[in-house]
Amino acid sequence: MSEELDSFDRFSLINIVPASRDFIRIEGEKCAGCGACVVICPMDLWKVREGHARLVEDYREKCMECGSCFITCEYGAIDFSYPPAGEGIIYKFA
Amino acid sequence: MAKGYDLIIVGAGPGGSVAAKTAAESGLKTLLLERSRVPGEKNVSGFGLTSKAYRDFPWLHQMELPSMRVGRKCVAHILSPPPELAERICLYSGTSRRISYQEGKEFFTVMMLRREFDEYLARQAVAAGAELRTLSLVTGLVRERGKVCGVRLEGGEEFRSPVVIGADGVLSTVARHSGLREKWRPEEVVSVCCIDFSASRERLDCVIDDATFHGFFGPGIGGNYFMCMAEGVHLGGPGVGNSLISRLKRRRIKPAKELLDTIKAPSTLNLLKAVDAVPREWQAHLLPWLDRMPTNIFGAGVMLIGDAAGLPEPIWAEGVWQAMYSGRLAAEAAKEVIDEGDTSFSSMQRYLDRLEDSPVGRDFIGGVQMRNLFELLGDPRVLGELTEMMVDLFVAMFMNGQEVHAEAMSRLLPILAENLPALLEVGRVYTPVLMEMYSQSLRDKLRLLKSVGAILSGMTSDLDQVDGDGT
Ligand SMILES: Cc1cc2nc3c(=O)[nH]c(=O)nc-3n(C[C@H](O)[C@H](O)[C@H](O)COP(=O)(O)OP(=O)(O)OC[C@H]3O[C@@H](n4cnc5c(N)ncnc54)[C@H](O)[C@@H]3O)c2cc1C
Ligand code: SF4
Ligand code: SF4
Repeated sequence: MSEELDSFDRFSLINIVPASRDFIRIEGEKCAGCGACVVICPMDLWKVREGHARLVEDYREKCMECGSCFITCEYGAIDFSYPPAGEGIIYKFA
Repeated sequence: MAKGYDLIIVGAGPGGSVAAKTAAESGLKTLLLERSRVPGEKNVSGFGLTSKAYRDFPWLHQMELPSMRVGRKCVAHILSPPPELAERICLYSGTSRRISYQEGKEFFTVMMLRREFDEYLARQAVAAGAELRTLSLVTGLVRERGKVCGVRLEGGEEFRSPVVIGADGVLSTVARHSGLREKWRPEEVVSVCCIDFSASRERLDCVIDDATFHGFFGPGIGGNYFMCMAEGVHLGGPGVGNSLISRLKRRRIKPAKELLDTIKAPSTLNLLKAVDAVPREWQAHLLPWLDRMPTNIFGAGVMLIGDAAGLPEPIWAEGVWQAMYSGRLAAEAAKEVIDEGDTSFSSMQRYLDRLEDSPVGRDFIGGVQMRNLFELLGDPRVLGELTEMMVDLFVAMFMNGQEVHAEAMSRLLPILAENLPALLEVGRVYTPVLMEMYSQSLRDKLRLLKSVGAILSGMTSDLDQVDGDGT
């Protein structure tokens, strides 16, 4: 069990139908580079580079649609909507 | 031409499905819209249905789902601070005989998978006559003369109804597009990460049996929990006690890392080993966590229920019964306003009034004060001292084979005296909780007196009138 937890890989334990369109939008000019989204994302999909937030390119294959980044950003720089119906994260054991 | 219904409900979680069942049973032509392929596949919680739900929705007694395990005991493990995380106290408790209703005397919760539960509820709604449309993402509302009167799906298709219920969870599109709320503030939500494990049914039967909930607390520990289903274990946290903002302000620790670190505590790890647990899914979800009953939850032609309304209770953020209860109230209110032909703001007000008076609303009494108490107990210093005090008392009173009994027993008073500052601090924070509870029940009694008074004065004026007519 401890070995399984040491090698615990979040990405291999999720099941996603990649969305056919974007569903997270960053308004770069509003971003203050505060890093809150970086701390809060359970999948570590955010980085701050040169004072601006970046979302990984392939987030549609990794994002759990929790919306934490959207709620956390107090500068209104992140907009979030759900992926199209039937796409995105699928939980088998929720 | 948009298709017409009496009532449209957005979201087939527990709230939406119960609202749809209630509405359809009352004769409303009801449409239930859900973005996923099957209700439940988007809804993390992995989850305990409390006995209150069985009290208030007796038809649940018929429900049989493969993942169900009845929880008649709860276990609280109190650990020493990280990095040791050694077990200092373990409290193993059955239900209390003081609970006021039968189901509550018999069990705490029934654990099960949301995937099975949400699908079951949606089937109940369909059986009652509601129309369920999955693969339907609502992206906007239709309005006329300031009233909500329908919804729009991605792709543009529209459906009309005089009332729309937003049962679409914590990131509610209905709340946003009706103007009731753009989004929660970071201090109003918690983010919970979970790992779901497969586990051996036989091992669970012998190691866990009906002690289905294990909570892990302690000084400097966020509060993980471990819930056991028929053939699976769900490990969640540390969420409650950690709003997004407090997480950012106080610790800047990544939620995923924190969960993985704290489950390495020997007590957690050993339990997982004992039931042959193997990780099978990683999950994350947001949850509203308010300390006051939200009131901005209805408008002309629109009501919010469950997580969309922010109804999870203020301590543990339990939210399924709340979603179901508010769903039923909203559907009943919808039936009335539709029959009366008045879906104006003031007519819809009845939903909020009834919710505030219901056990869901009343669960928020003392919420602010209880949060302070929890915050204090979460303070590593206070909890650390209290934990060691309990250990000292227990060892001195019951378990002392290390010293002369009389000498050990005589330590009781000094132990209490030594811990007086921590005890007084808890008392200082607990008193306002009690005051708030009692003042609310006093207020209720006064209100009752007032209404009796109004009836009496109404009667006397009627009598006066009768007298007057008589002459
Ligand atoms: C980790 C975790 C553990 C929990 N444990 C418990 C527990 O043990 N016991 C308990 O009582 N509560 C628990 N809760 C709380 C509980 O999960 C929620 O309070 C509950 O799910 C709220 O129900 P709901 O019907 O309001 O919303 P949800 O269950 O969130 O359902 C909303 C539905 O709407 C759909 N939807 C959303 N947007 C749209 C849209 N635009 N168009 C169409 N459909 C849409 C979603 O797909 C979803 O099916 C837990 C929560 C979490 C996160
Ligand atoms: S939280 Fe918002 S403002 Fe802060 S770094 Fe992220 S996007 Fe920028
Ligand atoms: S929605 Fe959740 S998982 Fe997706 S990027 Fe935002 S915080 Fe990360």
